[in-house]
Amino acid sequence: MSITVTGDNALPLTVNGSPCSSTAYLNEPCVSVTVCDPGNPSSCQTINDILLDTGDTGLRVFKQVFNPALLGSLTPITATNGDPIADCVQYADGSANWGPVETASVVLANEPAVTVPIQVIDSTFANGQKVCQNPNTTPAVSMFNGSLGMAFWLQDCGQDCADGTNKIQYFSCNGSNCSSEQVSLTDQVQNPVALLPQDNNGVLLVLPSVPSGGALYASGALVLGIDTQSNNSSSGATVYDADQFGEFTTSLTINNKVYTYSSFIDSGSNGLFFPPSGFPLLNCSSPNYSGWYCPSSTQNLLAAATGASGLPNPPNKIAFQIGNFASLLNSPYWVFANIGGDTGSNSGPFDWGLPFFFGRKVYIGFEGQQSPSLGATGPYWAF
Amino acid sequence: MEKSHFTLFVGLCLWATLLATEAPVRATLGESDDSIASDEKALSAVRGAAAVRNGYTVHELQSNSTTIREYVSPSGVVFGIAWNGRGHPDLTPLLGSYAGEYNEALRQTPREPGRRPFSVKTDRVVVEKWGHMRNLKGRAYAPALIPPGVSVDEIK
Repeated sequence: MSITVTGDNALPLTVNGSPCSSTAYLNEPCVSVTVCDPGNPSSCQTINDILLDTGDTGLRVFKQVFNPALLGSLTPITATNGDPIADCVQYADGSANWGPVETASVVLANEPAVTVPIQVIDSTFANGQKVCQNPNTTPAVSMFNGSLGMAFWLQDCGQDCADGTNKIQYFSCNGSNCSSEQVSLTDQVQNPVALLPQDNNGVLLVLPSVPSGGALYASGALVLGIDTQSNNSSSGATVYDADQFGEFTTSLTINNKVYTYSSFIDSGSNGLFFPPSGFPLLNCSSPNYSGWYCPSSTQNLLAAATGASGLPNPPNKIAFQIGNFASLLNSPYWVFANIGGDTGSNSGPFDWGLPFFFGRKVYIGFEGQQSPSLGATGPYWAF
Repeated sequence: MEKSHFTLFVGLCLWATLLATEAPVRATLGESDDSIASDEKALSAVRGAAAVRNGYTVHELQSNSTTIREYVSPSGVVFGIAWNGRGHPDLTPLLGSYAGEYNEALRQTPREPGRRPFSVKTDRVVVEKWGHMRNLKGRAYAPALIPPGVSVDEIK
């Protein structure tokens, strides 16, 4: 299953194909990035098996993956007293990324290199285990070499960390002692695409449809920019604007009853996660599949979506399927459009994870950036 | 009472070290709602008004970049804790006497890739995490302590 997109602004994006590693987990979307010495643009390393995560912002790469010479050439971001800055990023599943923030030169597709702060993931850095719970330790355990966050937020933390109100994300480390630190927006881990001289107002993810029984892989592209080149036209898409939490509204109609949830779209989540909503979607009985849904037959479900502002009105319909997770895993396949599971609470939110992207062009509009053709200013999704 | 003297003593010690470190929030599962009052003093956490609901009371504490809600039974025992914000709180102090079995169960739970909602259940406590960056959510509760007529869905 492949869609080819050509252009200097198009990165190959694959779910479980190359450049994922051969030990990728199911529904893992991967890209390659090229990281260079910020002082020497020809000293570079291309890194595969980078998770493409629209629920995160910025580039993070495990320390173990870097060539030592390249690692040594990255410039640490420091506090005014010279202490290195480190970042603790927490995720919904309780995992975290910890490690120093360093300036690198990053090349995406055939775009010009950008100089940008990235995170070197290193759970052993300073006393990270004391200030950052459950930090990712190795590529083998995490099942990726790093991640490229492509959310609509320009920095991974934002104003809260620049003015010091958020004391749990950025730290300065004096030897092995780390304490909370204010870090300016320009020094935070941030989206390299937003720093490009063009194609910098958002991105488009293109992935093919996948058969209901699954596929070995699905390949498409991460296209940089919205309505900036012939390959990223937003024609036909509807805008769904996001609120301050990065959420829009999804309602689910089951047995003629409507359940309304806040919702978000996240390529880093490998299924569709939502409350059972009064319908017995039947959690799988095997403890190995805890949290996934195993209905006895594939369910055709109908949702409707509207942005934070209440547009479109009426909400647009989204049809989707949930199959039996255990049966699907009995196949030789790794990529599924119809796997889903429970979320923590019956009040939501509704997580449109990776399956949402199959057979659908999804545009992510960066905060404060415009697409004149869509008449929208980010943060927004369009699809 | 011995217990409240101990809580006050701990509170004074925490107050003394407050300027040097960020102390963790203690709104301890299974313990009395005295623990909430000492949190507010010890941690300069901002406490909202308590909301009385049908069969329980919810106290809200704002600490660091996380809002924590404590669900208290009519007999004054914390039966559930829920949170949302920029980070998950450190659960070891919040879970009190339940922390040991939770941490052991966590050690034995295989890591799940795919950044999906997290859930760990032991005989006595359930811990769940979900949401997304900038709006992380979670809850912890002791099913045996939930007052009659109160749904677990109300812990959110």
